[in-house]
Amino acid sequence: MTPPLVTTSVQEEDTTEMPKWGMAVDLDACTGCGACVTACHAENNISTVGAEQAARGRAKHWIRVERYWEGSFPDVRLRFQPVMCQQCDSAPCEPVCPTYASHHTEDGLNAQVYNRCIGTRYCANACPYNTRFFDFFNPAWDKPLHLQLNPDVSLREVGVMEKCTFCVQRIRAGTIAAKADARELKDGDITTACVQTCPAHALVFGDLSDPDSRVSQMARAARGTALLGDLGTQPNVTYLQRQTP
Amino acid sequence: MDRRSFISLTLVSGTTAALTGGCAVPQTSLIRFVPAEDIQPGQASWRPGVCTLCPAGCGLTVRVMDADADVVRDGITGVQRILAAKKLEGGVDHPVNRGRLCARGQAGVQATYHPDRITQPLKRSGDRGTGQYVAISWDEAMATFVRHLDAIDRRAHPPALAWFGRPDRGHRGTFIAHLLSRLGGVGPIGVDLFGDAVLRRANAMSFGRSQLPTVDLAAARHVLSLGADFLGAWNSPVAQSRGYGAMRTGRRGVRGAFVQVEARMTQTGANADEWVPVHPGTEGALALGLAHVVLQTGAFAADTAGRAGECVAGWADGLPDWTPEAVAAITGLAPGRIDRLARALIDGVPSVVLIGGPPLAHSNGLHAALAVNALNALLGAIEQPGGIYFTPQADVSAMSGLDAGDVAVAPAMSQFVAERLSAGSRPPALLVVDDSNPVFTAPPAWRLREALLRLPTIVSVGSFLDETSSLADLILPDHSYLESWVDAVPESGARTAVISLAPPVVRPLHDTRSTVDLLLEASANLAAPISWPWATHEALLAAALGTLPPSVTAGDTWTEVQERGGWWGELPAAVAQAAAATATPAPTAFTAPTFEGTPGEYPLHFLPYASTFLDGGLAHLPWLQEMPDPLTSAMWSSWLEINPATAAALGIADGDVIRVTSAHGVIEAAALLSPGIAPSIVAMPAGQGHTAFTRYASHRGANPLGILAPVTDPATGALAWAATRVRVERIGDPDGRLILFAGGTREHGDDDRPPHR
Repeated sequence: MTPPLVTTSVQEEDTTEMPKWGMAVDLDACTGCGACVTACHAENNISTVGAEQAARGRAKHWIRVERYWEGSFPDVRLRFQPVMCQQCDSAPCEPVCPTYASHHTEDGLNAQVYNRCIGTRYCANACPYNTRFFDFFNPAWDKPLHLQLNPDVSLREVGVMEKCTFCVQRIRAGTIAAKADARELKDGDITTACVQTCPAHALVFGDLSDPDSRVSQMARAARGTALLGDLGTQPNVTYLQRQTP
Repeated sequence: MDRRSFISLTLVSGTTAALTGGCAVPQTSLIRFVPAEDIQPGQASWRPGVCTLCPAGCGLTVRVMDADADVVRDGITGVQRILAAKKLEGGVDHPVNRGRLCARGQAGVQATYHPDRITQPLKRSGDRGTGQYVAISWDEAMATFVRHLDAIDRRAHPPALAWFGRPDRGHRGTFIAHLLSRLGGVGPIGVDLFGDAVLRRANAMSFGRSQLPTVDLAAARHVLSLGADFLGAWNSPVAQSRGYGAMRTGRRGVRGAFVQVEARMTQTGANADEWVPVHPGTEGALALGLAHVVLQTGAFAADTAGRAGECVAGWADGLPDWTPEAVAAITGLAPGRIDRLARALIDGVPSVVLIGGPPLAHSNGLHAALAVNALNALLGAIEQPGGIYFTPQADVSAMSGLDAGDVAVAPAMSQFVAERLSAGSRPPALLVVDDSNPVFTAPPAWRLREALLRLPTIVSVGSFLDETSSLADLILPDHSYLESWVDAVPESGARTAVISLAPPVVRPLHDTRSTVDLLLEASANLAAPISWPWATHEALLAAALGTLPPSVTAGDTWTEVQERGGWWGELPAAVAQAAAATATPAPTAFTAPTFEGTPGEYPLHFLPYASTFLDGGLAHLPWLQEMPDPLTSAMWSSWLEINPATAAALGIADGDVIRVTSAHGVIEAAALLSPGIAPSIVAMPAGQGHTAFTRYASHRGANPLGILAPVTDPATGALAWAATRVRVERIGDPDGRLILFAGGTREHGDDDRPPHR
């Protein structure tokens, strides 16, 4: 196995009390419906760019549904695969950032600090998953569409790289609420927008440091694989392969 | 400006607020109006709602927080802090969607905050169809509307009043049907291109239930679907997706198998273990062939299918003519494969067969549905785990205290067009268009737009100007479904009776009015008033729900319903709809599908299909426009799916601009080569090609419905939208009109393509 590209702070510090956020995607249940894509736009203030800019490759979808055709008519198969930031433990996007805008948090998130980002786009070039999106212009919402904007998520301006955060605003809010109530976080207390809406329950989110959480159980499943795992990126997203009869 | 509004006006200019200075330099001043409600800044709350974007009737939980809205008060523009809907989630305990939503449901919040919503009553000022309107007050609008209603002769034959609307089995739609009856009108005439009138008719004939089935996918071991896009756009997609996920992964050691039969791969078909393309319009023959094999094995006796079997010609004799060899000649499948598909149904019990979409949109669709019903009954899949159920339906008229027989007749749109809107017929004096756009979805041969242009008066209560409402003389905009009392009665998606219901989630953003309130007020103001037991929409719903017991013990139903976002449970007998006890219909036999256009002149079958936008009514939502299509990754565009072999024969390459010609029209689109479509067919998503429907949808792509032949199902009058033949020719190189998120179809296996995105 390829060694990790960098040694991350997570591995050096005492992280016994710290959650490690992860996701599992059961490709046997995913129907490719795209509800996750729209839910992500609604939660994370991702601006639509319009037809002209979309044609130039500037549309932003923090989560997308990829499709893989196999065979030809009439023996043809199509497989769907939702792809979002894999929140790698050994993330190729992090060491290339000159301003530490792309960095690792203690709870295992691959975070992006928009105010530090100077738009070199090194991170997007380094990411093998194509899950980072550059803001080529300032976002715009035709009023009153702006009324829907989520005040918990900052708007990204021109020249900044943006990406899936595992809905960090929900993680922080859930953590704070649990602390305020002096209770432990339970599996399922915190969920991301894509997971919450997934009609087929194909997406599961949770704490990988809790061996009993659903996401941990799925991460250990025999069908579990990492996307481009041989690159040594150590993703925190597990894909459970679609089964064949 | 009166004293009250002066006091409620404050001026803030940067940090140094100066009253006179702010007025003098308006561009540097920010006028803030005092909020009209108590708002806790930064504090989110969750309120129940109901999604009305499709008939599934899913429950919502809406996240509500403060936001700054631009408002005009007494001619002064300023900012007011309001409570706004931020995020839609599924209603957590709602029996249909259990906390989940589809992509459409997620995007629905953009309908409320759409920049092109109609914000106040409008009166036509230019020629009809030019879209020129002037704003009027609600007093004037109401007076004009009442005048139009007073001018109607309630005893006229044929009726002088007609209503176009989307299907609505809830209290709003039922009230409108009763109002139309009192006014001697006709309707509501359902505008629902991809609606399932044929399947409802078949279910009424086979099972006495005029409704769509609820499929217990979670308990099924083998699912065979004939064309039903049950994970995408058909029936109750969220409930079915949940069931599908459970069928695949929810049971230890059991993974349900799934076979899809269709000529063009849908998003649903892409998930099948086995994808079976058959000739278009032969699905009914396949169902008979499968039944033949099942009967031959002796695993099930023909008479176990009961009445459903009696509806199919030759059933009692064991369908002797429908051998795999005979069916193979019709469907294009090998006899051995038909035999294997049938045996898989037997071995996979509990197994279930679904039918929906294109198989029912042929001239022989009713027979196909009846054959599938009989096959399901034979397999023991009716009202059994892993089979199909019929959701108990509330008698909404009885709940409202009205006589269920006292509703207006509602013919199919095709019938209404033929009898009332064709040349030489007697058109209605007044037409009301309710949030529906038949001009966009009608086949061109109906000449619907021309017919509507000639009508004396058209009134629209919709929220947007589109191809139909832009013909209206008077526009009385309704609230959005997040701003209004709202209810829905799902016809499927749950095993228990469900009434989704919610109070307004947020206050109306614009100067709009609830259509039910409007109609109630108009009823009272008529020269010959019509009296109702309630004065408002809210009172109607409160009275109706008062007929039901609380679902949770103790407490009163009305309070509970508003907190939960609906009512579900066992219906009291007084308000439950019984299965219709009609005589067994005459048996129906398979007939070859008929297509309009000769194979010589029009060699290809043309298949429009329900897209993310369904039949086009959701194309105005930018999130849905920019959502990559699951099968192609296309955004903001139209395309024609074509088999690579067919494309090669026609000299067409990926992305080329092509012309599609039917006997009824011509459209242009980009070609998209797809391995998931039969060589004899081309397919195109419906929904784009609007000429007048908001800034996001207008003049984008092409409308495949604009070249459809006016072929209808003879039994129901439903448009047979899969029965048109076309010819396709290349007219130019790729011109950028097809926008793909994936930047090309590199998944097909080529390596020399441009990089991703």
